[in-house]
Amino acid sequence: MRLFGIETEYGITREDLADVDPVVESMELVRAHLTASFERRWDYAGEDPHEDARGFRVSGLAQDREEDEFAKLDAHRPFSFHEMKSDLVLPNGARFYNDHTHPEYSTPECRTLKDVLAHDRAGERIVQRAADRRNRALGGAHVQLYKNNTDFHGHSYGCHDNYLVPRSMPFPQLVSGLLPFLVSRQVIAGAGKVGIEAQEAGLTPGRFQLSQRADFMETELSVDTMHNRPILNTRDEPHADPKKFRRLHLIIGDANMCEYATALKIGTTRLVLDLIERGAAPQMELEQPVAAVRQLSRDIDLKASVRQKNGRGITGLDIQERYYRAAERTLAGIDEESDWILREWGETLRFLAEEPRRMIGKLDWVTKLWLLETFMQEERIGWDDPWLTSLDLEYHNVNPDRGLYLGLEAEGKAWRMTAEEDIEQALSAGPSDTRGGLRAVCIRRFPDRIRSVQWERIQFAGGVTPLVLEMGDLFEPADVVRCMAVFESALSPMDAVNEWTGRKDWGS
Amino acid sequence: MDGKKGLGIMRYSSMPERREGPVDPMPKPAGPSEEGGGPRRPETGSPEKDNLLKRMRKVDPKQAERYRQRTGE
Repeated sequence: MRLFGIETEYGITREDLADVDPVVESMELVRAHLTASFERRWDYAGEDPHEDARGFRVSGLAQDREEDEFAKLDAHRPFSFHEMKSDLVLPNGARFYNDHTHPEYSTPECRTLKDVLAHDRAGERIVQRAADRRNRALGGAHVQLYKNNTDFHGHSYGCHDNYLVPRSMPFPQLVSGLLPFLVSRQVIAGAGKVGIEAQEAGLTPGRFQLSQRADFMETELSVDTMHNRPILNTRDEPHADPKKFRRLHLIIGDANMCEYATALKIGTTRLVLDLIERGAAPQMELEQPVAAVRQLSRDIDLKASVRQKNGRGITGLDIQERYYRAAERTLAGIDEESDWILREWGETLRFLAEEPRRMIGKLDWVTKLWLLETFMQEERIGWDDPWLTSLDLEYHNVNPDRGLYLGLEAEGKAWRMTAEEDIEQALSAGPSDTRGGLRAVCIRRFPDRIRSVQWERIQFAGGVTPLVLEMGDLFEPADVVRCMAVFESALSPMDAVNEWTGRKDWGS
Repeated sequence: MDGKKGLGIMRYSSMPERREGPVDPMPKPAGPSEEGGGPRRPETGSPEKDNLLKRMRKVDPKQAERYRQRTGE
């Protein structure tokens, strides 16, 4: 079973200001999470977005020029780079920081859908608690946060899903196996959007589409993430032993409010990766994948046909059906979670084909469309009314007193896979069987002894030689549990690192 | 395809009450207070049907027009 996690960039605004400075607001939001003074802990040494999984290194990214211009502006601010990033590692193993002027919450690495759902929801609670604190300091509920992907003026921000895959899986095989699946995944995992946009261009109102991100997909493969966005991102930043692993970094997905949609988004992708690894993925090639993403997104009846390279047309539902059938043939019975995904995937495709309304409360685009159509009838307004765009935005507000999805959930009309106790647990601890949980243990047990943290490494202060816990190849659950027990019981990080290193050297 | 066609209007009263959720992928053993450890029953009671419409009417129609972000990833 592979590891996965979700990074979510939240939209942020101040409703009491005409001109909002997103750098300051995002920074202050993250720092409001802290009860004590801010201490930089994140180590950026392991991050390099210029390495390309196709086997080369790019000299620059499409966003570099814009980033440089922002950096010049930011240089005049009374904050250091690290103050602006405000990079926090939390006691549940997650990362919470200011990324490109958006508060970003990255879940710890998870091994089960149950864990990733709980940690995704914990992220919503953490960012909203930070907003509550910030608002108390401001004297009013001015800061609002949105778990969505667009500002409806041509500016998109991401919700990335990540998967650990073996380096031995050839990248071209990964690409050919995944592209049609990713093009069509939006029929299940689209968050729904009113209107049509283009990168840094305004909104054309009056249409509802399946996906928030489809308008911003511009190419099939690219290392870029802010401009020229690809269906399949080729950034080669494994955050693990690069000889053994890749991190599949998918930027095409929408931020989901429905837990069920999140579960199917991650779960079906996990199964498709299993299929590719076994050489059992359906063989199909789309003629124009980028155009197909938009075409499928703009067809809420799910009848649109996109052209394959063999000349035949195929609908988004049929692409998904072919992957589902292949997964059912190959992966049924391998474990309980896979069986749950298969059962729900098949039922979802059937309901979408026959009676989509049965997915209200389970899939975001269906739920949002139902809410908006209900409202349109009540208020006697049409799709060109700008009120609908505002309602679309408010669907994603993570303030429980205002958010439309959270209101629906509070009324008991959204499916829940998490219990409140799951989320409470995820607020304070990481998964028990991944290095995310181990990171959490280290943060909780030795908060004052940590010098720096990366996804794959923790460096502790003290001692003549660097005291480092390497986690780049620490993925076997039994090993993680043993290492966690060492760090739970040790009196100091030095004792723990020495004991763990000794055990590894002796192979026990 | 424009947004005129869609799911058809569903009244709130026709929306089924919160149903049992999907099966827990990692079901716990059945205990005395559980019914098999799988799906959970709703935790909330029956809602007043117009609550959400009231919430929707409070949304400022110009809210999205004012909402501006920088491009992210």
